[in-house]
Amino acid sequence: MTFLDFVEGPMFYAAAAIFVTAGLWRIIGILRIGKKPDLAPARGSATAGWWKGNLRHFFPRGLFAERTWMHILGGYGFHLGLFVLLFFAAPHIAFIERFTGLSWPALPRWGFIIAAEIAFAGLIVLWVRRFSDPVMRQISDWDDHIGTWLTFLVMLTGCLALQESVVALRATHMLFVNIWLIYFPFSRLMHAFTVFLSRGATGASYGRKGMNP
Amino acid sequence: MRHILSLLAICLIVATSDPASAQDPGMQTRESIMERQRGLGLSGDYTLPSGQPPAPETVQPGSVPQLGTRGYASDSDIWRALRDGSANATPSSSTAASQLMQVIGDDWRMIRHDYLIKYAGWVLLGVILLIALFYLIRGRIMIRGGRAGNTIPRFSMSHRIAHWFLASTFILMALSGLIILLGRPVLVKGLGEWLMVGQLGMDASVVTTLKSVNGVLNNAALQGHNLFGPVFILSLLIVIIRFMKGNFFQKADFGWILKGGGLIGGHASSNHYNFGEKTWYWVVVLVGLMISVTGLFLLFPWLSDNLRFHQAATILHAVGALGMICFAMGHAYVGSVGMEGSLDSMLRGEVDVNWAKEHHDLWYEEVTGEKVTHDHDEIPETAKGTA
Repeated sequence: MTFLDFVEGPMFYAAAAIFVTAGLWRIIGILRIGKKPDLAPARGSATAGWWKGNLRHFFPRGLFAERTWMHILGGYGFHLGLFVLLFFAAPHIAFIERFTGLSWPALPRWGFIIAAEIAFAGLIVLWVRRFSDPVMRQISDWDDHIGTWLTFLVMLTGCLALQESVVALRATHMLFVNIWLIYFPFSRLMHAFTVFLSRGATGASYGRKGMNP
Repeated sequence: MRHILSLLAICLIVATSDPASAQDPGMQTRESIMERQRGLGLSGDYTLPSGQPPAPETVQPGSVPQLGTRGYASDSDIWRALRDGSANATPSSSTAASQLMQVIGDDWRMIRHDYLIKYAGWVLLGVILLIALFYLIRGRIMIRGGRAGNTIPRFSMSHRIAHWFLASTFILMALSGLIILLGRPVLVKGLGEWLMVGQLGMDASVVTTLKSVNGVLNNAALQGHNLFGPVFILSLLIVIIRFMKGNFFQKADFGWILKGGGLIGGHASSNHYNFGEKTWYWVVVLVGLMISVTGLFLLFPWLSDNLRFHQAATILHAVGALGMICFAMGHAYVGSVGMEGSLDSMLRGEVDVNWAKEHHDLWYEEVTGEKVTHDHDEIPETAKGTA
């Protein structure tokens, strides 16, 4: 068994299993916490508040927009770029098809490159803000930096293997993907899923009180 | 083309004919060919195997005679014509219309191999040694009055993000570029052939392994370099715009130069940026734009069909990048270990008041309205750096 076979075979299966199992365990754990019954009479809809809480936070509030435009751009650039990279790059679709049989149209190469450029620019800006901003620096810990760097390394090794002609580069990329998958559920990278629960819970609480989240 | 086809036809017929027919007095032999090339026997004393005489060779007035079925006294005229482009022969590519051979490629290759690649590594090593030597002699430049404990804001968040954004992409571009340029000479020639095999007497197969490693690294570096190039250009443009204010040369800069930035002749006053910082800014602007433009031409070769331009672009790109890496190393040194308090400006956006008074007194006066006195110009023993 070659190293590539290992990282695309047993190691990938193990990493994917850990990712799914631990991720579900965390999400189910959060959902099971529940909340204390609110005895006060409702002044608004908790469901509407849940949606409002999720949607309103996609846009910066007027007061903050001017101060935060750089990391808002960086944040959107990185997350949208990564989403496009992950699900619309031809090699990724081929990889997913290999395991699930599912396939969908891929982006042309130039589209993939532009998405990668935007994602990289966004990630660098976000990381620079993390250590430059005094408040961000105070609330950041190793988990944030490890998560950022692992994501960066996964993206970087993926782009270095872009030509798909060197087995060692593909294997390196897959190795980092596996490490990332294993680390993901135990870190703040889980915000990819929990963000909607968190925003929704806050929104629902505010909505029930008849307030804007 | 007709002549070449005739020649091929002859070769084919000769190759497939009965060996006995080679004795035919009408067929050409090595001796007859040599005779014709010496200018003898040009009257035409041979025929094709079919018995037909060869087609007469026509030479256009003013053009260089092409290689015909009989050959000529010398082929060097043809090759010379092909090299200087007067042969009117053209490949299908539009990059060198009417010119079959691109002779300037020899010069380009020579400059790249015999000068650029040969000395680039030594230049970088020399700059590193110079910085180390400066550190050993001068030590860390300390704040003369020590830290005041109070800070004043120097760079906004957008300044810092722009700076580190460029720094990050520059490091990625520099590393990948150096692998592309110097990977083989350093890894295969230097480490493998010279050190491991030549000096340490290891098996020559280690060179083959290093060649494979270099191949993988180069493949990866090229992909990374091409991908990060546009991101580098974006970050460069942001820095150019964000840092332009205050980076135009001013009267105080002349005094700063005369005093060697404070190294000779006492305290050197400066504004928000001193002469060194301004020079670095304009190097980033000019050289950065130059390597960006040449890089774009290398990334998208269809932007120009002039091969000479592309050859010049590769040289300018590498030379500019090397110069920028050298400057950046000096900048990184002064901005971190070389000078106490300077890293704060880019990490926290604030600098110590005493640092501001010492290094950017005119800016400090402008911001605070407070007159700066240089009481600490004489370096106290306690504040001297140690090597």
